[in-house]
Amino acid sequence: MEDPKGLKPPLQPSKSPKDQEPVDADLERLRKWQEERIQRRLRGEYESAVIHLSEVINNNLESPLTISSVRVEGTPNTRKSFLGFVINPTLSSFSAGPQNFESVLHTTREISHRLRETDIYKTLQVRIEQARDALAQDGSVDVVFKAQERGRFYLNTSTELGNAEGNASATARIRNVFGGAETLEANLSMGTKTRRSFRASLEAPISPDLKTRGELTLYGLERDNTGFASSYETLRGLKAAVRNGTPRWGMHEVTYEAILRHVGGFTPTASIGIRECAGQTFKSAVSHSWTLDTRDDRITATRGHYTKILNELAGFGGDAAFYKSEAEAQISRPIFPGSTLAFAARTGFLWSLGKPVLFSDRFQAGGPISVRMFKANGLGPRDGSDSLGGDMYWSAGISLISDIPRKPHWPVKTHLFVNAGRLDNIDKSRSIADNITDALRRPSVSAGLGLIYRFDPVRVEVNFGVPLVANRSDGTRKGLQVGMGLEFL
Amino acid sequence: MSVFQLPAPLRSFFVHFPLHTYDPILPKNKKQTTAPTLWIAPPRTGLDPDNTDLLSSDVKCLKWQAYLALRGVTGVQVRYDVAPDGGIDGRLPNLQVSLEGRVASPEDGELLAAHLIPTWVDGWLERHGKKGADPLEGHLDQAAKDESTAWVALLEGQIHAALVLAQPTSSYISSLLNLSAGNSRPFNSLLNPPPAPFTGLTSLVPPSGTRIAPSLVYAQYSDAIGALSERLGTDKWFLGSESPTALDALVFAYLHIILHSKEDVRIEVTRRVNLVAWEWRVRGLVRSAFTKIA
Repeated sequence: MEDPKGLKPPLQPSKSPKDQEPVDADLERLRKWQEERIQRRLRGEYESAVIHLSEVINNNLESPLTISSVRVEGTPNTRKSFLGFVINPTLSSFSAGPQNFESVLHTTREISHRLRETDIYKTLQVRIEQARDALAQDGSVDVVFKAQERGRFYLNTSTELGNAEGNASATARIRNVFGGAETLEANLSMGTKTRRSFRASLEAPISPDLKTRGELTLYGLERDNTGFASSYETLRGLKAAVRNGTPRWGMHEVTYEAILRHVGGFTPTASIGIRECAGQTFKSAVSHSWTLDTRDDRITATRGHYTKILNELAGFGGDAAFYKSEAEAQISRPIFPGSTLAFAARTGFLWSLGKPVLFSDRFQAGGPISVRMFKANGLGPRDGSDSLGGDMYWSAGISLISDIPRKPHWPVKTHLFVNAGRLDNIDKSRSIADNITDALRRPSVSAGLGLIYRFDPVRVEVNFGVPLVANRSDGTRKGLQVGMGLEFL
Repeated sequence: MSVFQLPAPLRSFFVHFPLHTYDPILPKNKKQTTAPTLWIAPPRTGLDPDNTDLLSSDVKCLKWQAYLALRGVTGVQVRYDVAPDGGIDGRLPNLQVSLEGRVASPEDGELLAAHLIPTWVDGWLERHGKKGADPLEGHLDQAAKDESTAWVALLEGQIHAALVLAQPTSSYISSLLNLSAGNSRPFNSLLNPPPAPFTGLTSLVPPSGTRIAPSLVYAQYSDAIGALSERLGTDKWFLGSESPTALDALVFAYLHIILHSKEDVRIEVTRRVNLVAWEWRVRGLVRSAFTKIA
């Protein structure tokens, strides 16, 4: 707008002096134009400020500068020693390298990143100021972090009803419990099927880069195995684990577990085979697992792959002595728009070391999230209607997952599947190769079609299918089968 | 019949599946029953590692072992590798018997709870040409049969109570680490009259717990053993029966366990010569009746 007295405000664009002011516009359009103009000007000012700042920075990257101290403010619940544990390694690598403005900035960013990783701060602001210390040499600065801690206490109770099961649970969590980014969590739940369970865990970072974490867990639960083994299993255990990395880039976990298992509470119709498994046993085992998960989605992946390898050695005291190895792989590839081909395979091998293999350690297979169109844990050696479990198994499945025509955004997908697998005992009088060939030669096979429903975080399937090849001892399921779970074949 | 019936075309479709069937996958170590097998709690582990004594350390199991032996059932095997939770209703003993052709071979028979053993024994004896079921259960007359009920109550009440008291109590840690529910009879129910509550009736605290006087339990036990010794006298079997009865099996089980128990309960029996001699004679009979499962 031009001043009626002919005066021009500074920086008036000379190319279009009226700055494309709408002529004969109503008040509304005029207001809009004015707002846009102010926005544009502000953006311009901001951009020029940023350019100016980066110029200043870039021109001074080489100027010598050193860090006198790092201060973290607003952390009443965090231990000083923990902050030192996280920050000091970065500072020592700073001291070892060239000390200039650039390295100060890099170090500040690195510390800020690590502090954010601890997940105990809601907000984190950083300032670089003149060194406060009277003895600080010239050209030294203080890096000051102003943090605001997250709430420490979390309590949740819930009641769930459904799927012929009722469940009530309570969870309590204390974040940063000892001031070192430790998380203490306790969970107690009671239900009609999983009758009782409790879990208390303490997790803490054990390396300064926070990528390695340790976890100590105490847990107990009672499993209802009446569906496939006419019994209940009570577990009470202690687990110590060290974890490194993320599933995306490969996660290692080394675990020691001491666990008491009790098989009992048999139904009146329990078979003699399962009754022989009764009683209390103790397992003391170390295990290592490696997980790599590059899938784009856990439930209905369209690309990427998933691999998990687990090795366990039991026999450091206790009643169980065995070596167990399990591997699982999944790969998904889009074949044409809206359709994905997914292949999954699992295998496991259990070798006893001088003691009989116990029911709780044996493998089970079959069911809606394993080899479909067989009863849950319905494959392998059985006595009457009870699955006693086996020493060796493999299962594989191929699925063609497609969008519903014209409704690709729906959480429901269709799928066609073929599954195969076998669970068997290892006959130690024959070679391992013979055992494996035999298991591969005589698979139980099923095929069918169904719907997948994404019900985050679980996947629900409704399938219609039939077993094509089966062992006479297998529990088969013809027609409809409903599955609910996280990892499907 | 189910409310929902499968449509006929679907049913005829399902009949074709599975298209091919392999042989069943059998469990490892599955054995066919060759002889009746009694599942018992393990025998005492003595100093001798090659302990050939197959007499159970549990009084209930030993009672049924003695019952089978004294009624003349032969060829019974015992196994004690199955935990008590594996028994019917979580209790041992159980008798595993062959189904005798009622199902196709291979079969591993059926399991009978302890209370079904007498009926099975009657059938077994009849099949082997011996005297089977008897309305007087081997007693001389109805009066003797009634009297035996009183002796059973004495053994399972006062004598059992003293035996339980003499057992070492398990520590708190071991009770925490023991996951089996345990369905033993509450101690209070063994005592007659029932024990007084732990807190007084006049106190402000509501009556709770039980006050057990061990001296009273042991005094009653001592009287009971004395009475038992007098009643046996020099008879061959209790209550003057001609042949052993269920009461003899029960008395033997208690006497045997007491004789391998702590000094303060054992002494009451060891000072009665007739009881010791009788137990020794019956022990020979019972021990020879069983073999360990292969």
